[in-house]
Amino acid sequence: MKKCIVTLLILTLFLSGCWDRRELNELGIAMALGIDKIENEYVVSAQVVVPSEVSMRASTGRSAVTLFHATGDTVYEAFRKMTKVSPRKIYPGHLQILVISEELAKEGIADSLELLSRDWELRSDFYVVVAKDLTASEVLNVTTTIESIPANKMFNALKVSEKNWAGTEGVILDELVTNLISDGNEAVLTGIQVFGDKETGSSKQNTDSITPTTRIQYDNLAVFKADQLVGWLTEEESRGYADITGKVKKTVTSIPCPKEGNITIEVLKYHSKIKGSINQGDPEIDLIIEAEGNIGEVLCSIDIMKQETIDELEKNYEAEVKEIIHQTIESVQKQYQSDIFGFGEAIHRSNPKEWNKMKEHWDERFSDLTVNVHIDMNIRRIGTVNNSFLEKIKD
Amino acid sequence: MMQNEKINPYQFLILVIFFTIGTGILIVPSVLATEARQDAWIAAIVGIVIGLLVIWLFTSIALWFPHLTYIQINEKIFGTWIGKAVSVLFVAMATLYTSSLLYYSATFIMTNMMPNTPVVALNILMIAIVVMGVRLGLETIARSAEIFIVVFFILFVILAVFISPQIKFENLQPVFEVGTKTIVQSSIYFITSSSVNAIVLLMIFPAMVNKVKQAKKSFLLGNLIGGIFILIFTFLSISVVGADDTARQIYPSYELAKRINVGDFVQRIEELMGFLWFIALYFKTILYFYASVLGIAQILNLKDYRPLTLPLGMLAVILSLVIYPNVVYQKEVEQSTEIYFTITIGLFFPLLLMIVYAFRKNKLKKELKSP
Repeated sequence: MKKCIVTLLILTLFLSGCWDRRELNELGIAMALGIDKIENEYVVSAQVVVPSEVSMRASTGRSAVTLFHATGDTVYEAFRKMTKVSPRKIYPGHLQILVISEELAKEGIADSLELLSRDWELRSDFYVVVAKDLTASEVLNVTTTIESIPANKMFNALKVSEKNWAGTEGVILDELVTNLISDGNEAVLTGIQVFGDKETGSSKQNTDSITPTTRIQYDNLAVFKADQLVGWLTEEESRGYADITGKVKKTVTSIPCPKEGNITIEVLKYHSKIKGSINQGDPEIDLIIEAEGNIGEVLCSIDIMKQETIDELEKNYEAEVKEIIHQTIESVQKQYQSDIFGFGEAIHRSNPKEWNKMKEHWDERFSDLTVNVHIDMNIRRIGTVNNSFLEKIKD
Repeated sequence: MMQNEKINPYQFLILVIFFTIGTGILIVPSVLATEARQDAWIAAIVGIVIGLLVIWLFTSIALWFPHLTYIQINEKIFGTWIGKAVSVLFVAMATLYTSSLLYYSATFIMTNMMPNTPVVALNILMIAIVVMGVRLGLETIARSAEIFIVVFFILFVILAVFISPQIKFENLQPVFEVGTKTIVQSSIYFITSSSVNAIVLLMIFPAMVNKVKQAKKSFLLGNLIGGIFILIFTFLSISVVGADDTARQIYPSYELAKRINVGDFVQRIEELMGFLWFIALYFKTILYFYASVLGIAQILNLKDYRPLTLPLGMLAVILSLVIYPNVVYQKEVEQSTEIYFTITIGLFFPLLLMIVYAFRKNKLKKELKSP
């Protein structure tokens, strides 16, 4: 028995991992990283948690995060150089969001991502976004309400809006890298913007008022060609992108009533399938969409208790979405010639031989690609009331 | 040469499963995907089938003399001196691969978990339990394997179930893009590392196994089950991570574990999943090591192999430090030189053995009957 205990005690010596032990109070946990490029040098900003402010008891009311900057020839160099300003070594294992400035994105983002995919401490489950019209460090320099750690706010806002609105895209690093190297699928990233005064945004007072003077907000999708940002989609196109690629989980879409006014459809189930084929030597895409939803809001006089009305509304929805999809595709084809929808991949999957012939000049092929859209919408429920009370008021 | 230990066919089956999975679970998906891209899983199936043929060859050689180990068969058929020479090469392979596997496990830990820990420390820890196991004997190894297969299986099921929602079948298409030739070519590494290397198991089978007939089935079945494990891992890697990324990752199945995220609740469990690889790596290392110490003992006609374990263990640690200067060299060597080395010892010599046996059959049979 004694022998056993002694052996166990000796063995415990091996368990701590002596050389690589890191105490929590030696780590600066970075929640968000920003990468800018100024005159051929990378500027890396890290939003690091201030542990004493996050804990409930010891909080003194100062900001919950702090921002460190460093510059270097490479991202890694800048990242390590940060120890010159930070009292603790930056630990990126809990990274939530990576912000890349628009300027850098226009130059190409691939170089700045290499470290992040190679380093062992990083996990690839963080979102990548583009700072529209401003630098990444400016985005990380804004305090936020509800979430005291701005990185958490950025992460959650993107996650929630992607799930419930579908005009934004939470792209994690692996997806992004896969899209960057794929021949038949280009990348998109969501834009992020700061409204209000950038100077006062970093102070605690910003979040003291009910309406913060400075706030962070997500914008529309940025289109990439290879690894360079080539332009931005409009809001409608961003939603069209989600419609095409089937990224919609839940959303609401307003459609015109048969006469006048609008009806909002709440989409609850959405599924899209991109099918590629070769038709007489030319690539062709069939987009098959199945959706299910409820009537969410009725802003016109219409008798929704009739089966014909429901059928008509379904048709209207189908037409509306079809319209958005065609517009989106057309504008991307004309303006950017960048296959962000993954149509090339679909052709590749269906006919690898033909694909190998056309993949070299796919961008041109993409810009005059025929896309046939087939939508099937089913309205299932109408909410808690029958016909709208609006009808009575108008009478 | 008094080795009275016998293991039963079921225990042997588990050892074969562990040996087949071994290192393959970590890196084979990547190697397969490099050439065969999204058809890597087909390459894995091809690998399993060819691997079974190789195992069948081994079992038929082994069953000529159900009471002898591979070293003893060599001496019997090739004659004492040539036999010993061939055996020395065989033992060299086993020793070399023991060190190679030590290098592997240390590299894995250092890349993914503890970059500052000295390699020696990790290697000594690993070899310590390997030496301990071998000193305690084959029976102890087999019984511990029986326990650990349960742990292994549970972890495997957890991994597979939790990652399955992320499977994207688009990643597998188009099927059969690369053509048969590439598929077969890319499966060669898998075959050598999982099946041809299994020649070291001829030190256990059939001499140390009771019920030899059943054990033959265990050998084939174990190889098949191990192969299926690797097939599933390859399939998951390709369908979840994608062919490109699988090929680019050094440890794709670790990446797989990293991706587990069930409802933002079950996540970051890859270190737990690391046990999977350590269990498999440990048993593969211990089988190589067992083969090398027992092999040396039999070549030198020693009564017991145990005195050799400690010195050879130390040797293995030193060798593991110098065997590869860096990971790139290791990857290069293991996919070129080591394949030829393995095929020479694991395929060429056994075939030679068959030819010589065919000529000397009658004489040998008389010898067997006469004493």
